[in-house]
Amino acid sequence: MSEPIPVEVGLVYEGERVRKQDMQVELGGPSVTEKFEIVRVRKTDEITDGAIEIIGPDITQMTEGNVHPLGILVELAGERVEPDLEGVVERRIHEYCNYIEGFMHLNQRYDIWIRLSKKSYKKGLTSLKIIGHVMHELFKNELPIIEKVQITFITDPLEIKPLYAEALKTYEARDARARGLSDDDVSEFYGCALCQSFAPTHVCVITPQRYANCGAISWFDGRAAAGIDPKGPIYAIAKGECLDKEKGEYSGVNESARQRSMGEVKRVYLYSAFGYPHTSCGCFEGIAFYIPEVDGFGIVLRSFRDLTVNGLAFSTMADSTAGGRQIDGFHGISIEYMRSKKFIDADGGYHRVVWMPHETKDRLKPFIAPDVFPAIATELDVKNIEDLHAFLAGHNHPVTERWRATDAAAGVEAAQQVQVFSGGDIPLTVAGFRIILKNAKITAEKVIIQPIRPHVKPGGEHHDAKKQ
Amino acid sequence: MSRKGVSFRVKEINSDIAQFRDLSISIGAIHEEKWDEPMGPTPFPTLSTLRSWDHTLLKRYKPFYLPFCDLCCLCTYGKCDLTGTKRGACGISMSAQQSRTVLIAACIGAATHISHSRDLLTHVIEQYGSDFPLNIGGTSVEVEAPITRLVCGVKPETLGDLEPVLDYCENQVTQLLAVTHTGQEGNNLDFESKVFHAGMVDHVGMEVADIAQVSALGFPKADPESAMADLGLGTVDATKPVVLVIGHNVPPSTSIIDYLRDNGLLSEIEVTGICCTAMDIARYSAKAKIIGPISWQLRYIRSGVPDVIVIDEQCVRTDTLQEAAAIRTPLIATSDKNCLGLPDRTNDPIDAIVADFVSGKVAGALVLDMEKVGEIAVRVAQGIAPNRKKQGTLPSKDRIIELAKKCTQCMLCRRACPNDLPIPQAIKPAAGGNLGPLNELYDDCVGCGRCEPACGQKIPVHSLIVGAAEKQTREETFCIRTGRGAIQDVEIRKVGGPIVLGEIPGIVAFVGCANYPKGSREVAEMCMEFAKRRYIVCTSGCSAMSAGMYRDKDGKTAYEKYSGAFEAGGIVNVGSCVSNAHISGAAIKIASIFAKRPLRGNYEEIADYVHNRVGAVGVAWGAMSQKAAAIAAGFWRLGIPVVVGPHGTKYRRMLLGRADKDEDWYVYDARTGEKVYGGPVPEHLFFAAETKEEAMVMIAKLTMRPNDTSKGRANKLANYVDLHKRHIGGLPPDVHRLVRVPADIPLTMKSEILEHLQQHDWKEQPIPDPTLLPRMVHTRRD
Repeated sequence: MSEPIPVEVGLVYEGERVRKQDMQVELGGPSVTEKFEIVRVRKTDEITDGAIEIIGPDITQMTEGNVHPLGILVELAGERVEPDLEGVVERRIHEYCNYIEGFMHLNQRYDIWIRLSKKSYKKGLTSLKIIGHVMHELFKNELPIIEKVQITFITDPLEIKPLYAEALKTYEARDARARGLSDDDVSEFYGCALCQSFAPTHVCVITPQRYANCGAISWFDGRAAAGIDPKGPIYAIAKGECLDKEKGEYSGVNESARQRSMGEVKRVYLYSAFGYPHTSCGCFEGIAFYIPEVDGFGIVLRSFRDLTVNGLAFSTMADSTAGGRQIDGFHGISIEYMRSKKFIDADGGYHRVVWMPHETKDRLKPFIAPDVFPAIATELDVKNIEDLHAFLAGHNHPVTERWRATDAAAGVEAAQQVQVFSGGDIPLTVAGFRIILKNAKITAEKVIIQPIRPHVKPGGEHHDAKKQ
Repeated sequence: MSRKGVSFRVKEINSDIAQFRDLSISIGAIHEEKWDEPMGPTPFPTLSTLRSWDHTLLKRYKPFYLPFCDLCCLCTYGKCDLTGTKRGACGISMSAQQSRTVLIAACIGAATHISHSRDLLTHVIEQYGSDFPLNIGGTSVEVEAPITRLVCGVKPETLGDLEPVLDYCENQVTQLLAVTHTGQEGNNLDFESKVFHAGMVDHVGMEVADIAQVSALGFPKADPESAMADLGLGTVDATKPVVLVIGHNVPPSTSIIDYLRDNGLLSEIEVTGICCTAMDIARYSAKAKIIGPISWQLRYIRSGVPDVIVIDEQCVRTDTLQEAAAIRTPLIATSDKNCLGLPDRTNDPIDAIVADFVSGKVAGALVLDMEKVGEIAVRVAQGIAPNRKKQGTLPSKDRIIELAKKCTQCMLCRRACPNDLPIPQAIKPAAGGNLGPLNELYDDCVGCGRCEPACGQKIPVHSLIVGAAEKQTREETFCIRTGRGAIQDVEIRKVGGPIVLGEIPGIVAFVGCANYPKGSREVAEMCMEFAKRRYIVCTSGCSAMSAGMYRDKDGKTAYEKYSGAFEAGGIVNVGSCVSNAHISGAAIKIASIFAKRPLRGNYEEIADYVHNRVGAVGVAWGAMSQKAAAIAAGFWRLGIPVVVGPHGTKYRRMLLGRADKDEDWYVYDARTGEKVYGGPVPEHLFFAAETKEEAMVMIAKLTMRPNDTSKGRANKLANYVDLHKRHIGGLPPDVHRLVRVPADIPLTMKSEILEHLQQHDWKEQPIPDPTLLPRMVHTRRD
């Protein structure tokens, strides 16, 4: 650190815990109501860079072992700093505080819980000003677009009340904007190539309504990261022309995917698992998998250990999903994307979902249309495709309408399959000569018996030339 | 399905298309393929198949020879002096001879694992049948045998499917051993390439052994919450009859547990173990107790606690029979690789054998029938315990003082000690009644006992040390998470995000034997340090035990403090020696899981992927055996660096990179095909550290890879710089070689690193999509 700090500041302290008997003071935490941390973007002339103020008692004025309310107000300014970044930058407070030896920071927003250890207090960490200095320096080190940072700590029980109320309102407004923001409202999406270090042909496209597959990067995170380091692994994608509104195809996304994947991926449908689905690396949180027998989707999260309704486990299907390929009907997704209105929207959204583990179903309940909710089966309802079929019919799931429409086509398909099997015999029956072996001895080091590959349903892998 | 040796004869067939008379068809093997992944370029590679990959690595990581012996005495021309530029009678040079010796060691190691694997597989096939399905981790493991798939191109499904895989391994070790004959290979780099081959084959053999035992014997299946087992001398209830098992091959020990279980005796007899048999018996029954690594053999036997000793194979002290006799404890040998001159009683009735042991008529016997061993061992322990009264050979305090008075301070014991412990200096005060200094040696002692034959006064020096630490040994009550087996595919998926986002700096595996420079505590301390820093820590074998034999200031062992999951800050005990295959297997699975690279018979491409992308480091702090040499070699061929303790220099050569030679560190950028500077990462492939502190700094550095994202590199650098500052002092001198772009700089160290970069005329370098193989350069598809 450029200023002398009495304790160490470094990554190694990140997981450090300060236990009750070792703490000098506790700030925030479960026993006080008024506590918050918030980042606000201001105009350049409204704040002073490096100003650190404490409203109320500082640490030395607090009794050992006591609990105090705490508000942390970080005000930022910079030409390229916009209010949409507030939430992203705010999460850095947690990280930076935890780098400080003996200063434990848990949770975020109105839930913060901080403890200062006696040991660090004795070493000289006796003022919140020092915490402010560290935060100031780290903000500017990491986020060079920030030109000014002003930090205020509020510990006075009366002064904090109005600021706390205001902070709550700000969080709510911010959440409402995030919830309401649709892909149509923005002109830029973001691409993330972080996973290319392991999966060189995969790229994630991050939109307000489609979180990164790993569940770790939102459109706001993308915007912040691309703004801070435009040459970095997270970069802006100009949407370009909307080529297919329903499937979510944009000329800018196609161009970016083509560039970044070395031409492996030429088109991307953001809201469909068919045709040109969004690719996956390996760390997706869940899979939406097509079940051809019922023409619907199953959903399985990484945490589900049993077999899914199609008899395959997450790991088995994940193997078909990963690696930056476009595989029809195997779609790597994040949990947050499952909460989006655009979730496989082109394929029917939740009206096309027929199965998911009950835990997942409960978790996603607020995002699933009430009319289809009871018609989605879980592992408690059905164990195999046959039962699933009956369950869907019994609950009149929307996919049952599709069955009626495609019945005729299914008949044709079955006839085609027969031909595949009979084909293998032809060379022998038309050979037209007799083989005579006398006193023959045939020796083989090894005979490999390979299965005749089952006929692949339409909509297999999308890599063969004739489909492109 | 796989079937070997099918043949049939037909007298006469007449059909429309053909007529056969006296037809005899014999087929070496029928193999039904259910795996539709296309075969890769190198299934079942021979000695030279992967030679060019080996030479690619060896060009960068040149062998640096440390001749442990300047002579060659392998043939009757010799001894030949090979110092300087001299050559031996056969024409061999010093460098080739050193590599040749490494190859012999690696062959011994690989042969040992493979032969263990064969014995185990034969045993479980006899017990459960060759159609018994493999089950490594239920639905959480899709890639059941990553190394076997990669090397052999085989996807095994049953125990029987593993047999042709071992056939291959046995064949290769024979070929490799032939290479070391006088007048064969003459080039040191070709010897080194074959060392890599031995290592690769060794990992196949280990994988076969562990997946066979995990499947057939019901060991924890890739379970991050496998049960805790007792660890340490102090956990044994010496009031009960006590069985001690030593070695590596678990069937004799499972036979003991089975007999106890079937007869309701589990709570009446203590089953204790040393070395990997202990690790594996605890995977079979968490009631079994692990005493400790190989270094605990003498001290535990001399304590007199074991009433019967059952040995199988590998790392069993060859004087165990004499040590057992000294405490009047019978010894049962169970492996035809380790018969110790004992009479073969395999075919005798159990009652007769038990009677002979209990009456004291025989001190030891060879019993090669695993079914019988369990019953014999238990009944002998029960029969003998009441009369033996746990008579040990460790001296009392008064006796120690008396013996210490005989010491002439000749220093020969200290010279004999591999770690130069100040034994005479500790014996001197003991003669005056102060046993403190002797007690202090206990923690650092590796239990080899070499001090005793060195003593002209016939003082049982090792016993003096252990006797002085009597109170401490009683307090050895630790715990260990039992070996969990493989890493789940799902766990690997979960850590992908945190690795690229810079939340997990790397994977560090503490493996291998217990020839530690300063006792086992250092392994535990290093494990905890890296877990605290959010690395993924893996452990196996003796190192896994050592990791649990220490409590931190909160009184917790590493396994109590950290989770057993493959995640940031997890300490993952995979199991015994042969479980090491799961660590290399996890690195291989990363390529399959994230990049969907085909594994089948595709070694070179995957090794290139692992070397350039997977930030894993192996640490064998007490590497001692030839097996450790083979295990390390298996990691090298995958391009994974290995750090060893100071005794590791006795493996005769290091594989060191030269960070100062920029030209050594160019990689292809797979996106453009251009050769670009990738940085000296990982800097070395095989490195011996003098101290724990030096090792930790090097481990942190060796987790860096050319593909690191900026966030990942920043985290790795932050740990490297922090450890360097703490343990060596100041900013490391090579930071400028490791920072590629400004975003690589850890933000808490920005000002000082920027200053360093300025001083070194640093220039920004692009982060490549790295490969050492020109064929892996992408061709644009548009």
